[in-house]
Amino acid sequence: MKKQHILRRAAILFVAAVVAPMIAACGGSAATEPQVIRETVVVKETSAPIVETVVVKEEVEVAKDTSFTTPHPILGDVKVRQAIAHCVNRPELIKSVYPFLTDEQQQGLLMDTFLPKSHWAANNTSIVSYPFDPEKGMALLKEAGWEEGFNADGLPLFLKFTTTNAAFRQTWATVLEQQLKDNCGIAISRTHAPGSWWFGDTTGLSRRDFELGAFAWVGQTDPGGISLYACNQIPLPSNNWEGQNYMGWCNETASKAIIAANNTLDKAERVKQYAIVQEEFTKDMVSLPLFNRLEAAAANKNLKNFKPNPTEYYTWNVEEWELAGKDTVVLAFTQEPASLYTLVESAAVATTAAGLLSARGVTSLDYDYQAVGMTKLPSIGDGATNEDVEVKAGDMVWTTSGEAVALAEGVEVTNAAGETVVWDGSSALTMKKLTVSFEMKPGMKWQDGIPVSKADYELGYKVSCDPESGATTFTFCDSVATFTQESDTKQTLVFHPGVQWPTFYTGGFGASPAHQVIESDGPYKGKKLAEVPAKDWPTLPEVAEKPLSTGPYKIVSWEKGQKMVFEANENYYGNAPKIKNLVIQFYEDTNAAVAALLTGNVDVVGTETLGAGAEVETVVKAAEEGKLQVQTLASPTWEHIDFNLFIK
Amino acid sequence: MTTPARTRPASQWQLIVRRFTKHRVAMFCLYILISLYLVSMLAPYIAPYPRDEISLDRSYVTPMQTSKIGTFHVLGTDHIGRDFFTRLIYAARVSLTTALTVVTISTIIGVTVGLIAGYFGGWVDNLVTRFIEFISTFPTFTLLLIAGSIILQSEQAIPIPEILTKIFSFLMAINEREARQVVMIVVIFVLLGWTGVARFVRGMVLSIREQLYVESSRALGGSHIHNMLTHVLPNAMPPIIVAYTLGLSGTLVSESALSFLGFGIQDPTPSWGNMLSFANSYMFNYPWMPLVPTLPILVCSLAINYVGDGLRDALDPRVQTEVRREQRDALLAAIRERSKS
Amino acid sequence: MATFLIRRLIQMVIVLLASAIVSYALLYLAPGGPTTGLRQIQQGGRNSITAEDIARIKARFELDLFLPYRFTRWLAGFPSGPITIGGQTFFADTPAGCAIPGQVRLRYPDGTSEIIEEGCEEYVTFADLADRRTSRGIIFGDFGNSQVILRDRPISVLIESRLPYTLQLMGAALFISILIGVPLGIYSAVRQYSRFDYVMTTVSFVGSSLPTFVIGIICILIFAIAAKEAGLPYLPPGSAVALSDYTVPWIGTVESESTLDRLLHFIMPCGVLVFVNIAGYSRFIRSGMLEVLRLDYVRTARSKGLRERTVVLKHALRNAILPFITLLAGVFAELFGGAAITEAIFNWPGLGRLLVDSIERTDYTVAMSLTMVSIFLLLLGYLITDILYSVLDPRIRLS
Repeated sequence: MKKQHILRRAAILFVAAVVAPMIAACGGSAATEPQVIRETVVVKETSAPIVETVVVKEEVEVAKDTSFTTPHPILGDVKVRQAIAHCVNRPELIKSVYPFLTDEQQQGLLMDTFLPKSHWAANNTSIVSYPFDPEKGMALLKEAGWEEGFNADGLPLFLKFTTTNAAFRQTWATVLEQQLKDNCGIAISRTHAPGSWWFGDTTGLSRRDFELGAFAWVGQTDPGGISLYACNQIPLPSNNWEGQNYMGWCNETASKAIIAANNTLDKAERVKQYAIVQEEFTKDMVSLPLFNRLEAAAANKNLKNFKPNPTEYYTWNVEEWELAGKDTVVLAFTQEPASLYTLVESAAVATTAAGLLSARGVTSLDYDYQAVGMTKLPSIGDGATNEDVEVKAGDMVWTTSGEAVALAEGVEVTNAAGETVVWDGSSALTMKKLTVSFEMKPGMKWQDGIPVSKADYELGYKVSCDPESGATTFTFCDSVATFTQESDTKQTLVFHPGVQWPTFYTGGFGASPAHQVIESDGPYKGKKLAEVPAKDWPTLPEVAEKPLSTGPYKIVSWEKGQKMVFEANENYYGNAPKIKNLVIQFYEDTNAAVAALLTGNVDVVGTETLGAGAEVETVVKAAEEGKLQVQTLASPTWEHIDFNLFIK
Repeated sequence: MTTPARTRPASQWQLIVRRFTKHRVAMFCLYILISLYLVSMLAPYIAPYPRDEISLDRSYVTPMQTSKIGTFHVLGTDHIGRDFFTRLIYAARVSLTTALTVVTISTIIGVTVGLIAGYFGGWVDNLVTRFIEFISTFPTFTLLLIAGSIILQSEQAIPIPEILTKIFSFLMAINEREARQVVMIVVIFVLLGWTGVARFVRGMVLSIREQLYVESSRALGGSHIHNMLTHVLPNAMPPIIVAYTLGLSGTLVSESALSFLGFGIQDPTPSWGNMLSFANSYMFNYPWMPLVPTLPILVCSLAINYVGDGLRDALDPRVQTEVRREQRDALLAAIRERSKS
Repeated sequence: MATFLIRRLIQMVIVLLASAIVSYALLYLAPGGPTTGLRQIQQGGRNSITAEDIARIKARFELDLFLPYRFTRWLAGFPSGPITIGGQTFFADTPAGCAIPGQVRLRYPDGTSEIIEEGCEEYVTFADLADRRTSRGIIFGDFGNSQVILRDRPISVLIESRLPYTLQLMGAALFISILIGVPLGIYSAVRQYSRFDYVMTTVSFVGSSLPTFVIGIICILIFAIAAKEAGLPYLPPGSAVALSDYTVPWIGTVESESTLDRLLHFIMPCGVLVFVNIAGYSRFIRSGMLEVLRLDYVRTARSKGLRERTVVLKHALRNAILPFITLLAGVFAELFGGAAITEAIFNWPGLGRLLVDSIERTDYTVAMSLTMVSIFLLLLGYLITDILYSVLDPRIRLS
């Protein structure tokens, strides 16, 4: 009997041990819930908030929105931001990520503004620079009222730092955390979020859900920058979160200058305006530029004419490559292209692979453009005109916010003098109207030998600008008033008044093979490509997987998850590629691709595959030992920390 | 009337302990495990450097070497100069505690559910089994990903009782923010982990309960709980212990696998798994680097397995048969007494 | 038996549906998808992306529909437009999704206000659905289109290209590990505490103590890189086939894509999986056998003078294998699901890698398709286990 008692007690204990935590868990959450509710219900309110529906487009109403209007208690003060800039030892950050570089090389990666030092528009003279100087940083903090980690109100000097979970970001962010703490007593707490959250459409950065936010911008040949630094590009709930001025930086001088820089075709003027933006940008210290990423492209040491470039895909001169004793060159990718239809997919891997299949019009080497398939780059007076035209109500014009609208009272445009004006509905308005003609070199053929014709370009234009095509953006299409394919080689674009694309000369619309007959099963079997509606193009294997080539290579097969096989296109109108076959092999991780490069199974590992991680060091070391050839480049991609100037 | 002197149930355990202590390898491994855990608990006193202290002047120091700035590192340093030995013992705290908690809780839940399902059978069994099947179809990666991102949007979004994060942050010597994330991972591991144990315990119980001694005990009117705990559970114990030890080393290993795929415990909270997956990318230039975190995983996991092996041998099977016979004798005596009255 | 099967099948369908709903809802909550990063690439003026562009992309990938409709459309291709019965159209204006979310301003008495997304400004109606492409539904074998990994192309293309490799690898690994693991377990149990038993124990413990990726990397370093440098016969470090012919010492020239080439590529990933599996299988069998071998009926069988082999294989094994069967329930799902990490290390083009890729790159239609098939196979495995149980153990009645 006694034994039974003991056992029963044991059983009860056992059950309690199981159930108690469950109850505790449930009870715990039940207990916290009222707290949460108390928090969500508005602070110290006596009456409920008035709920009213907002008409999205009505700007007058919207202007009253107060989200992101309260300056951040810490970062709202420019002195604190400047202090942070002084407290960060950026050379050390670079060293933590690229320890294998010489001091000089490391110095070369340092960024002081939003353009790399060698860029044609970089301002290296009148900007404010922030060398590592903790004493100055501390002094600035003191001036701003922060002493020993607290301000007068007892608020701790504590900031949340958000970035992605990429390994190299974890590395430099760890160092950054220690620097800020040791040098200036600024405590940060790091969150390394998955990219899908940080760069998500309705999460993270897009919703300005950060205090200190680190990420990289991919610098482009043209500096652009309106959407990053203009006042009207601050993402807010009231403008549907449009724009990329995540800091919430509104500096009238800089905003005007960045808009002006992008509304003129005069390079000297652009340099001047960009210099102003950079000056203000560094003075206000709203975003701390850290460094250009180092990129490296590695190849078999016998591969000749391998010339990767920071602003062009490394396969730009693939037809000149030579590999002694081999008729196949193997490229390694760590990500499989999602589609070879570049209209719907613009990832680097897809563009690189698709680039093999198309004859290039221009290349963009060294932060500039060069004509290749075009007879010349059109310029004003030589292939392009930029004339003043008088516009009247109802004419389609291009607004300052980048939309084509019929001119009416209240529309904001840039006039011919480059000033931003809001049309009053009656006064005379002159705007710039841009017309460009592109002349391609003759002789371009599809891989089946049929010449590229006028109809092909017309189809290309029609599909690219079809709203159903699956393309992500139509801004360029919208800016074109008329498209005329005058002959098999000449294309003329007339833009809406007000359109001033600084890089108008880089090319028009490409061609699509109108004559191609669909062979894959499905509703379009036996029809010609021109008869297929644009919305079904991305799903067609003829478009997405095996497009007809005009470029140096043509695609033979694409085995999903394994490789893409290309061979030289005998109907390529340029110089025939010297290597007959080209294979793109997919690897799961960079380590595996590098291993394959070292064992000779792969000939080229490009910049997009090597990335910025530890593997760069591996190939650099292997190159020092003479096993490989490696080109290291200061990439146009630059890391920076954005300061969110406001709180929600 | 005097009751004959009976061997207390405790003596069984004494027997088991005696048997276990004879298993020299298992004992040795148990010592290793205990000392490892003690070392990890004393981490702040033993560790030669602060956990997250970095210095680029002493990065990539090979084990047993002195760095440029004169610091000595038993197991070397990583890419930003954090001392591997220091981080490994802090990581031991995180990894071992995670594994222990996960497996203990999921075994308790799994055994209870499996026991109930298998013992009662019928519709109870059916319902429970379907529920187990339902839970076991949840996709692990997805759950981890979603939980991670929900926490990002608002740290309060998932109500984790503060007491839990407090306990974990104490046990693992990490701050409460880091602890939240570890608790999340523990919860998901438990949520998905208990079903395996439950299924297999249910299977065992199904066959055990059909055996004579349970039937006869039930005929005697013993309560269900009594039956479950005295007759069914002890018989299912050896495989449960094997499963427990396998689960312990399994959790250690799968935590590192998850880290390898980027879904595990995140840096700067050190765990053997994330240290390994980090070091992994340096294997070409510093081949010793991945070996450093591999070693404790291997040692610990091996030790746990041997201890489990020893335990199994100690519990099983001669002892068991004897116990079983004893129980059966007792049962028969009880039946006879009853028929007399 | 028949009624049991029917009832069990119905239950399976219910569990399947419940799991599908939960998994779908979980993926619905996950961040990412085809719009990820779009706002960040709109840097250049020519590539600007507007809210309308985002809305169009969402419409293209059905991201603007309400969860229940998205689920039913994915599951069974319903609703594909307004419902027409006898020439009459119903539900044409019923909202099925939200194209532009509504915005509500909360104005607080202290003068501040805040705009939040709530309700819907412009609905997607059933009538709008008629213009959209609709998959036939996963239960009719149409997995739909990939959103990110193979943009806009059918998921079946992805699965078809990888399924053979996964089946090959997982099937062979499983078969070989059972073939080796079970006898090893039995032998270890019969010869308990022998030297063989100790060695086997240690080996299998090491197998289960090391993460697969560590074993994989060590194998590559030894058998591929070091062996090649030492001039010994080596194994290719990764991929399923070689890109060009190569020469291996002692074996000679291996032609690319030949059977020998495929076999050489197969050895390492398969070997690693076998090594890891054997550890678990043999331990499990050993423990079960040890228990059974001490039971009375085995003693009886022995005392009857039956040969040891008969006793072990016929009497003991049958019982010892019982818990082992539960372990095998997941086999079908495992065969299909692949081994994500091993596949990643050896660059094996299998489905495990695809699942991890699809989650990393947030292609949730692909992830969901793979999850769904796995769930189905897992449940099927459970059903088969239950039936096998009753066949092997007559004491368990199917009821």
